[in-house]
Amino acid sequence: MVWGTIIAAYLFLAGLSAGAFLTSSYAARKYPDAKTVRIVGRLISPILMGIGLLLLIVDAEAGLKDPLRFIYLFTNFSSVMTIGTYFISFFMMAAAYIALMELLKKDTNKIVEYVGIVFAVATAIYTGFLIGVIGAVPLWNTAILPILFVVSAFSTGIAGTMLVSAILDKKMIHHVMSIKKIHLTLLISEVFLIFTMFLITSSTNESAAQSVGMLLSGEYSPLFWVGLIVIGLIVPISIEALELWNSKKIHQSQAGLEVAASGSYGITATLITESAVLAGGFILRYLLLAAAVPVIFL
Amino acid sequence: MARYGMVIDTRKCVGCYACRVSCQMQNELPVEESYIKFYEKETGVFPNVKNEIIPVQCQHCEDAPCVSVCPTKATYTTKEGIVLVDADKCIGCKYCMVACHYGARTQDHNTGVVEKCRFCAELVAEGKQPACVSTCISNARIFGDLDDPNSEVSKAIVKMNAQPLRPDLGKAKIYYVR
Repeated sequence: MVWGTIIAAYLFLAGLSAGAFLTSSYAARKYPDAKTVRIVGRLISPILMGIGLLLLIVDAEAGLKDPLRFIYLFTNFSSVMTIGTYFISFFMMAAAYIALMELLKKDTNKIVEYVGIVFAVATAIYTGFLIGVIGAVPLWNTAILPILFVVSAFSTGIAGTMLVSAILDKKMIHHVMSIKKIHLTLLISEVFLIFTMFLITSSTNESAAQSVGMLLSGEYSPLFWVGLIVIGLIVPISIEALELWNSKKIHQSQAGLEVAASGSYGITATLITESAVLAGGFILRYLLLAAAVPVIFL
Repeated sequence: MARYGMVIDTRKCVGCYACRVSCQMQNELPVEESYIKFYEKETGVFPNVKNEIIPVQCQHCEDAPCVSVCPTKATYTTKEGIVLVDADKCIGCKYCMVACHYGARTQDHNTGVVEKCRFCAELVAEGKQPACVSTCISNARIFGDLDDPNSEVSKAIVKMNAQPLRPDLGKAKIYYVR
């Protein structure tokens, strides 16, 4: 395993950060009252990206010992990593500016926010392309992987934002139902994308088939089935679906509206769901790196 | 301008690891680090089986994925077609190690720089042979200019129909006789 846990954590944090930024931008437009969600998303986004970048620097040992070398990262335009360095730089600048404006309670410059949105999406896609272009690892070398990473990035971004928001403001999270609907859609798509990727890629290449075997029935199967599928996807999908179904019922009945008005909400379900999604997001990236079987060249 | 390449005749290779040791000495590598790796491959059905020892190092691909993925341009190809690493530019991100089809790269545990076979560029510049070639006890390795049809290496490729390990994976410049 050339790239291990540290890189998995970096890919996870970059996606999470981009997703949190997008969640906050969405919340700012759709729910101007849901200030907590907006502020939380805007604040955690640059912090998480910063932690991810620190991890990268620690993993890049030769650069860590001579930090000026990181300047060269901007030089090779045929490398996805160079392109990603630009994406992350622009995203980080926009996210940091917007977080600062939020802290100073000033209005944000709309153009900077749009730039931030564009580069947040670019950053999320880049994490997929980074390993997607590696022909030496057939498991990654599929068109569907960047899409899976983007979906997972948005999903973990919503989860991270909602988790912190729920702790800070118990009521608010029950007002942002459309975010929950988007989240549910993303989680269901993720299940579909994972199995599509596995099925197609394992039928085209021997090494990829070995990778998929390691995940579905081999040494990583407990982590795959319990960690990713059950905890990371099925548990949140079930809770999220039940919540949406219940909220529909509540708003249709008189008694439900009274409960809603009195504000006696629980956040346990949210805490469990969002923590599970975050765990799943990390496990997904870890598993894809761990199960990387290179092409057989002999 | 020369375009350097190599022939490795696995039929002659006895698996003595002398090339690896000489490479480690030439590049001042510790015992556990090496630019040459050995693979064994069994082919055929009993009793007609063949066991083959295949030394694998950087194949100096003309369209090297390590060169295109290296974000700092630390990995580059010289005019003579030798793929080299500029140790002062490498940040140790290991993208090249992930991208290499042949697992030919290794990270220096002290500096964090990723290194690999350099076709002994400094010896070749002096007109000498790479260490692994001059040390090979059975003359299984031939090094030279692929663009010169009269060079020993070009003749050997034609005569023995030497092929890269996986021609479909890129334009490698080490040809194997198997």
